[in-house]
Amino acid sequence: MNKWHIVVDLEKCVGCYNCLMACKDEFVDNDWPPYTRKQQKHDDKWINPVRHERGCAPRTDVCFVTKLCQHCENAPCAKAAPGAVTKRPDGVVLLDVYKAKGNPDLVKACPFGAIQWNEELKVAQKCTMCAHLLDGGWQEPRCVQACPIRALSVVNCSDEDWEALSNRENLESLYPGSHRPKVRYKNLYRYNKCFIAGAAAYDDHGTETAATNARATIKKDGVMLETMYVDFLGEFKFDKLPPDSGVYTIEVDMPGFKKAVQEVELGKDSPDIGVMMLERD
Amino acid sequence: MRDIREVINKAILGGTLFALDKVLNALAAVAPGFKEELRKKNVTVQMKLRDNSHGQWLEFRDGVVTGKMGIYEADVEMIFENLEVANNVATIFRDQMEFVNAAKTGSLVLNGPDDAAMWFSALLLKFFAADVLYYKNYGAKMGSGVTRYVTGTNGGPVFVYVKNDKIIRVTPVEFDKDDPAPWTITAKGRKFSPPRRMTATPYALGWKSMVYSPNRVLYPMKRVDFDPNGERNYQNRGISGYERISWEEALDIVSREIVRVRREHGPGAIFHSSGSHHTWGNIGYYLSGTKRFFDCLGATNVALNPDSWEGFAWGAMHHYGGSARYGGCEPYSTVEDCMQNATMIVFWSSDPESTAGVYAAQEGTVRRQWIKDLGMKVVHIDPYYNATAAFVGGRWIAPRPATDAAMAIAIANVWMNEGTYDKDYVAKRTFGFDKWEDYVLGRTDGVPKTPEWQEPITGVPARTVRALAQEWARNKTYLACGGITSFGSAGRTAYGTEWARAMVCLNFMQGVGKPGTNFGGLQYGTPLDTRFWFPGYADGGFSGDYMSTGAGVSLYNRMPQSPAVNSETQLIPRLRIPEAIMDKKAESNHLGVYSVASQFSKVQYPAPGHEPVKMYYKYGGSHIGTQPASNRFAQMYRCDSLEIVVNQAIWMEGETKFADIILPACTNFERWDIGEASSSGGYIEKAYLQNNWRVIFIQHKCIEPLGESKSDFEIFQAIANKLGLWQVFSEGNSEYDWVKRYFEATDLPKKISWHKLLKKGYYVVPPLPEDRRDPLAFNWFAEDRKKDTPELTPLPSEFYGQYGYGLQTPSGKFEFEAQTLKRFDANDKDRLPICTYIPSWEGREAKDLYEKYPLQMISPHAKYSFHTMGDGKDSNINDIEEHRIKVDGYYYWIFRMNPRDAAARKLKRGDLVEVFNDRGSVVCYLELTERVPAGIVHSYESSANYDPLGEPGHSTDRGGCVNNLTPSRFITKNAHGLAVNSCLVEVRKWDGKVKYIGDLRADSY
Repeated sequence: MNKWHIVVDLEKCVGCYNCLMACKDEFVDNDWPPYTRKQQKHDDKWINPVRHERGCAPRTDVCFVTKLCQHCENAPCAKAAPGAVTKRPDGVVLLDVYKAKGNPDLVKACPFGAIQWNEELKVAQKCTMCAHLLDGGWQEPRCVQACPIRALSVVNCSDEDWEALSNRENLESLYPGSHRPKVRYKNLYRYNKCFIAGAAAYDDHGTETAATNARATIKKDGVMLETMYVDFLGEFKFDKLPPDSGVYTIEVDMPGFKKAVQEVELGKDSPDIGVMMLERD
Repeated sequence: MRDIREVINKAILGGTLFALDKVLNALAAVAPGFKEELRKKNVTVQMKLRDNSHGQWLEFRDGVVTGKMGIYEADVEMIFENLEVANNVATIFRDQMEFVNAAKTGSLVLNGPDDAAMWFSALLLKFFAADVLYYKNYGAKMGSGVTRYVTGTNGGPVFVYVKNDKIIRVTPVEFDKDDPAPWTITAKGRKFSPPRRMTATPYALGWKSMVYSPNRVLYPMKRVDFDPNGERNYQNRGISGYERISWEEALDIVSREIVRVRREHGPGAIFHSSGSHHTWGNIGYYLSGTKRFFDCLGATNVALNPDSWEGFAWGAMHHYGGSARYGGCEPYSTVEDCMQNATMIVFWSSDPESTAGVYAAQEGTVRRQWIKDLGMKVVHIDPYYNATAAFVGGRWIAPRPATDAAMAIAIANVWMNEGTYDKDYVAKRTFGFDKWEDYVLGRTDGVPKTPEWQEPITGVPARTVRALAQEWARNKTYLACGGITSFGSAGRTAYGTEWARAMVCLNFMQGVGKPGTNFGGLQYGTPLDTRFWFPGYADGGFSGDYMSTGAGVSLYNRMPQSPAVNSETQLIPRLRIPEAIMDKKAESNHLGVYSVASQFSKVQYPAPGHEPVKMYYKYGGSHIGTQPASNRFAQMYRCDSLEIVVNQAIWMEGETKFADIILPACTNFERWDIGEASSSGGYIEKAYLQNNWRVIFIQHKCIEPLGESKSDFEIFQAIANKLGLWQVFSEGNSEYDWVKRYFEATDLPKKISWHKLLKKGYYVVPPLPEDRRDPLAFNWFAEDRKKDTPELTPLPSEFYGQYGYGLQTPSGKFEFEAQTLKRFDANDKDRLPICTYIPSWEGREAKDLYEKYPLQMISPHAKYSFHTMGDGKDSNINDIEEHRIKVDGYYYWIFRMNPRDAAARKLKRGDLVEVFNDRGSVVCYLELTERVPAGIVHSYESSANYDPLGEPGHSTDRGGCVNNLTPSRFITKNAHGLAVNSCLVEVRKWDGKVKYIGDLRADSY
């Protein structure tokens, strides 16, 4: 049977929070038995984009990582609280409204923080993937429908096709583990990888000038990882580097100039190594 | 439902109303709502021919109508000229135009006391609209008792799902199979089409929470210590609480005060201003009913400033015209041209991803994705790494606030030195280039304005500016200055005029209007059908005001209505409202739309022969929070110059609580209207060209008004009734009647019937075939052809040579040396005939001030609210953690700072901080971010929550109105524009000690 999946593309997310607004609109003040009771007005967020920054001004990179129930195939919550969790054949993971009532321990059943405690109604709750709407013929849950260019998108497919799609599009799990999420992330490097940025310039008769014809190369342990021409401001950026991955060598060369070399140790941040001045041969 | 239709049809087929008693009783028997209406009045009516040859006498008593033939005494008389008119009465009542014509020619006369005549006339109109008004035969039935309605918001149109008179959800509009196919742009070997749906902003999707906000004003209220017949206690405005009063009492007080104030203090003693952007609709919004109401009274109006595009209005306009758009430029077909012919886009102070251009939801987002798909080179110039930059990517350059003009002039310097501009175009199509060149190259003052010159001013390395200038010239480049075109926070800085001027000067050096060189960043200028006629909200609605709305160029020939004009000429400049009230004196320049030179005229308050205003009637969004040095407004309200303050408000926003009488208005989810997605018309003509689709919609009355709130229309009508103005205000038509009348005036009836529109809710105008798309903006100018883009402006008198040829400048060319400025004052150092860099009075160059307050604050338009609309009010928007953050149960406004500045002050993320200067003190939540360089701080403008911790106007605010801190000085001396993004502040950890703010007056000019 086909199952519901959600792809979150970090490069298409504009941080508008329409997903959160749509979710609140659907669940605050609306009861959808037997799927879920209503959400608390302010204190619950079943879906929430979280801003993530890399680098420093003016080489800043900003993205949003949208967090929601991962509707796991091997749902940790189902293992922790077997009776209270329903895994539907279409893949949607639901909490049993009655068994979740008065059961704050259920919140701990999700290692990713997707289950929340509704203090007003004394019930554990989470994203239902708008199953009440999907069952009524809707093609998308509210968060997806409200997303301007479908940075959130639904995929209704078999387990095999989901795995194939994940491989093809390099969809990643937000959290490590064997939970097999039905929510996966595209372009997650914006969140879990680092970059090294810098600029190349030379002295043109007393004027510091962007070396716009330069080529920059990044090496690790003497092995070239990537090489690129600098951009129109004479600047470069090597991305998708694992954090805390040790020392890299950046080389910049331009015809008529000596090669400039700089070493960088990559920690958790994405450094801007500044201007590398090229000297004439 | 069928029986209702039958009753009405029978009445119409009968061809006469001389059997009215029977049909009215018949309808009442099947429609309980109509029965209710009948019960409202006990009255007798005589309907007759003028010569008394035929007559029917009706008695309405306790909901039952009895009638007899003949002529008798009656409360109300309805007189028909002859039998023909009487026999046509059904047509007359179904077609409001016929009705108005019959009334105007005297062939249909209504006599009697206002209330009875008005009731009877309205009853007949309701009779013919019974299936809609009483049987709610509109909207799409979704099953399970759910109906899907449509309404408009300033963040896109929405579907509204309603069950049992309660809104259950609000979603973006998605199209069905009957709606048209999209347009396609073929560019660089690829085809691009928008998805078949509309988008919405977060504040549009938050509307349900705003309709049901606990901050809704649900009943008429009176300040507890305000006694219109005794002690008024002005000083307690903003402090004392409110008591609920009846509508009757509220209307009595307001109408009696209107009469008293005018009698005692003369015309103009009533002052009215609107805060814009709180609701949507062409009938019920501020340039329609509100305009007509105050025109009926005659009232001192506010002189507006274009507060999103000051720099273009007061600066750029002198170089290239565009007065009808307050200095904005035409957008036609630029999306297609940019995608096909340009290879680079420079976004300069341009963040459409946050501002939605204006009104345009997330419509431009997909086109910004196409920028990425096409691999175009992109630069973002803004002190803040804005949302557009974060999404589109490319390179970010962050000049210090109010120094952008220096950077732009240095770019011109590179082009002049390297000869990399369109010399042929400059020679043929521009004027006065040599004068500007003399300045830029330093021939006049010995200072060449090189990239090295600008580096210490802007903080941007010379190497970067030179490389940018070279790449810009190497490419076909589009310049997006501002989120739409010609907007931008940089135009709201000290001398932001010079930035806007520099923008047009740079772009015209490269040949604006030639393929691939123009204004815009794909936000504005989509290939939609501009021929289909449906006006925008600023085109006047039913205001009848042909002079001060867009009606004069747009509506007058399509929806004739009795004209209205404000006989009162006194104005108060919006940026000087507090001074006008407190000092009884104010002055500014006055921006007109008809000509460029009109902006040299002055507004003088008070006008000759006038007493200062005594009544302030406020409607719409809040000035507190949106206007610079907002504390001034709180101080103003608490002085005794204003004898009465009325606020017609939906919510208890920051400013509402300063009123004496609060009149509860409903949202546009609770009343009828009609409109188009992001179509303002008027000052931003064809603003819908920001959309991927032209979507025109009925705005259903989705639910009954909450509490005792009423639509703005009904409130104005109720006051008008008290003053004997009922027909004058509305021509006897209800809001619903006007909506229908408006529909009939437009091109809609050619494409969709009224009943189908009522059901479906919207109509999508099919895009034109590719070979009929609009000509490219300014291409006619580049090629020296007659203007062929689809707009009627400039006015004929603003062409100085052949009509239709050239720009709206004296030479008809682009003027690097602006002759209008030269003629006005060639030596105005604040605004010379050529564009120059002028250091800010409130920036790093203002030494003493900068030492005291070393952080430069910018407060651009908010991303998650539309000014105050959407913010506060306990709405869902509060939960967006980029908008507000809850600390100890209170939602604080966010203030953004570079981690280095925070470290220097021993501050950390999450601290509650006091942001302060001499004008104010505001408590905010501190967010640390690399989206601003050190030395610059950022917080959005327009908190709706003004929460002074001590005396209002004189104390620390924890609501988050950072506009308490901004300067009220004009952008340049001879203008009326704000410069809020030149603002120096200091920040410290909030110690809980409320700061005292002294008396505030406008900063000198």
